[in-house]
Amino acid sequence: MTDHGTLEIRSVGKRFDVAGQTVEALSGIDLSVAPGEFVSIVGASGCGKSTLLRLIVGLERDYDGEILLKGRRLAGPTLDRAIVFQEHRLFPWLRVEENVALGLLKSTLPAAEKRKLVREHLELVGLGAFAKAYPAQLSGGMSQRVAIARALVNRPDILLLDEPFGALDALTRAYLQAELRRIVRSEGITAVLVTHDVEEAIFLGDRIVVMHPRPGRIASILPVDPATRQDRTSAAFAHLRETVLSGLGTGHPVSPGRLAA
Amino acid sequence: MTNLELDRVAFEAAVADRPDGSFVTRAGSGLAGGLRRVASALIFPAALLLVWLTACLLDLVPAQILPDPRLVLATFREFYETGDLAFHAQISLIRVVQGFALGAGAGLVLGISMGLSRRVRELVEPLFLALAQVPPLGWIPLVMLLVGIDEALKVIIIAKAALIPVTINTCKGILNVPRNYKEVGEVLTFGRWQTLTKILAPASIPTVFTGIRYGLTNAWLALVAVELLASSEGLGYLMVWGRQLFQLDLVIMAMIVVGVIGFVLDWSLGLVERRLQRWEDVGT
Amino acid sequence: MSAVTVIPSVRGTDAAAMPLRRRWNGLILPAALILLWEGASQSGLVDARLLPSLGAVAARGWSELAEGRLALDIASSLGRDLAGFAIGSVFGILAGLALGLSRTLDRYVGPTFNAVKQIAVFAWIPLISVWFGVGEAAKVAFIALAAFTPVVVNTWAGARSVPRDLGEVADVLTLSRWQRLIRLEIPSALPSIFVGLQLGLIYSWLATVGAEYFMTVGPGIGGLMTEGREHFHMDVVILGVLLLGGIGLGLNRLAGLLETSVLRWKRF
Repeated sequence: MTDHGTLEIRSVGKRFDVAGQTVEALSGIDLSVAPGEFVSIVGASGCGKSTLLRLIVGLERDYDGEILLKGRRLAGPTLDRAIVFQEHRLFPWLRVEENVALGLLKSTLPAAEKRKLVREHLELVGLGAFAKAYPAQLSGGMSQRVAIARALVNRPDILLLDEPFGALDALTRAYLQAELRRIVRSEGITAVLVTHDVEEAIFLGDRIVVMHPRPGRIASILPVDPATRQDRTSAAFAHLRETVLSGLGTGHPVSPGRLAA
Repeated sequence: MTNLELDRVAFEAAVADRPDGSFVTRAGSGLAGGLRRVASALIFPAALLLVWLTACLLDLVPAQILPDPRLVLATFREFYETGDLAFHAQISLIRVVQGFALGAGAGLVLGISMGLSRRVRELVEPLFLALAQVPPLGWIPLVMLLVGIDEALKVIIIAKAALIPVTINTCKGILNVPRNYKEVGEVLTFGRWQTLTKILAPASIPTVFTGIRYGLTNAWLALVAVELLASSEGLGYLMVWGRQLFQLDLVIMAMIVVGVIGFVLDWSLGLVERRLQRWEDVGT
Repeated sequence: MSAVTVIPSVRGTDAAAMPLRRRWNGLILPAALILLWEGASQSGLVDARLLPSLGAVAARGWSELAEGRLALDIASSLGRDLAGFAIGSVFGILAGLALGLSRTLDRYVGPTFNAVKQIAVFAWIPLISVWFGVGEAAKVAFIALAAFTPVVVNTWAGARSVPRDLGEVADVLTLSRWQRLIRLEIPSALPSIFVGLQLGLIYSWLATVGAEYFMTVGPGIGGLMTEGREHFHMDVVILGVLLLGGIGLGLNRLAGLLETSVLRWKRF
């Protein structure tokens, strides 16, 4: 695999103006993601984790601090970073293959090469048979797989995932998590996943970044032992989950007494 | 046909501010933003007026093609001071009010009965839709032969123009009340009257009112047409008259008055409409 | 599992789904009306000049057709309607896209357009007849103007409401201005543009009738009806009304068909 370069996030902060008031969404974020690494970011809603992803992909250009890829400061979107949003965001008027080919519009490859890449990536996500379908004919899980193919078709250095399976049912989600793990491993790609699902974070991540809200900041970074995430039912998995949940500050289940109150 | 009301729907859905205020640039909120918005809206017409005035001052266009804007203003002042403008405008307004009241009233009755009764709908709808296919102006020669070219002609044509959108929207408003609401009524064992007043009426009123507003726009359109064709007073007649005398200043003045009255009619109903639809906006 | 099933497309037209009984019911009223009409005119209760029998209308239609005049009238009306509609809608789509995609135009020119469109379209007739005469050019110009307004309004609305979510996808994929227009903005505005085109078709047909009444030079259905009225030929006038309704209906159906075939992706 080629060197995808390290992603460096250095004391990054982000403020929004909401109704005349300044809200600090992110503050003092320091994080370094090594090539080929899979980092999961978890946190309660409003902790700025999606904002961080939007900064990395370049949709928000106005921030404090520095985000570097291969040593260069990022300014605006480029094709070396791809993103999968929570909603699939496929263009409803384009067929599946045309949606994936959108990722190659800026590419200078010959047309035949582009067609081959589209086909390969549809095969990669297991949708080779649905190339001619329209998005409205697909289920939510299939649509999200098309979105993954669209993100990967450019062979980006970094794949960003913003709660990609958040809107899917539990069965589909578990299936796609395994698929994603297979794809990322086989492509040797660097990935940053934002999720509120702790199990998903453990199952996919090499490291877990736990964030706290108001302002969004990193509370702790936990390494995941490869052996641990192999089995969701193992004691080690459960233990790590407990650790992450307590790190989030919302980990302990509400006691029956409080429910009754 | 049934999309008579669509342009308004599509347009207003889009004009409503986006949640993030991203594109419909409110140019900031508050008084300053409002003023800035008005100012930017006025730049273009001001520039047009300037071009028009310059063209006239330099004699670039003959007055029979485009009269001097100052002449239009003078004509307006003259008609205003002699009371002629008020006279013609009043006649036009009375015709519209009469025709609109008749057409919208009939449209409400027809639309409500079609919306509430499946039987009425089955019986009436095909004939209604077939008749609605004929443009309002298409009836003019027919009605002329039947009732002559007096007030009755104008009122009937205007009423017909208002009738169609009011009927369609009223019927649609009632039919499109979500099943969920009706089921709530059934669970609460509402009677017919309660269902009507507590569920059907409030849920359908916004759509019905959109039809009424559209009906008024149509009525005003029909008025102008019918006054151009057969009338010896009214704003449309002023235009025909100005055209025959080659007094384009008079024609343009009348056009502007037609536009302003049309705008005020539509705008005032729009205000009511927005009030009625307020509950729909919350949370979107 | 849901991830590998295709949601079947739902099709079927309203007409086909409608129970037969319902369609028969719809014929009761028109049939009764026709019977009443025929009865009144046959029995001589109503002046036949005011209410000619259906046979008389049909005979008139047949003789006009045989003379070749009717075909010419229909072709002339339809021709100028479509010419005006084509001109008005092309300019309308261009203007609507420009207004919807450019913030500057939206802010500076938009309000002026909204103000001018308040002028009831027929009020333009005297001015247009001064500028273009009363011949074919004036009629087509007026019809184009009538089609222009609804097409602009709806194209504008469609273009300004391109979903922000999809706009971000275009940003991330670093699409060029042109690619964005072709892949995102136009397709996204297309349903709205079609609403505008359908309305434009309705308005241009209305304007065709109006133009033929006001500028009575040359053949056309409006001219036919005006002439019929002047000579008190009620059968001609009724024939005209039927033609106007029938052609209007046909044009709308055609537009509807075109829409469903272009917006294939919406059918599922």
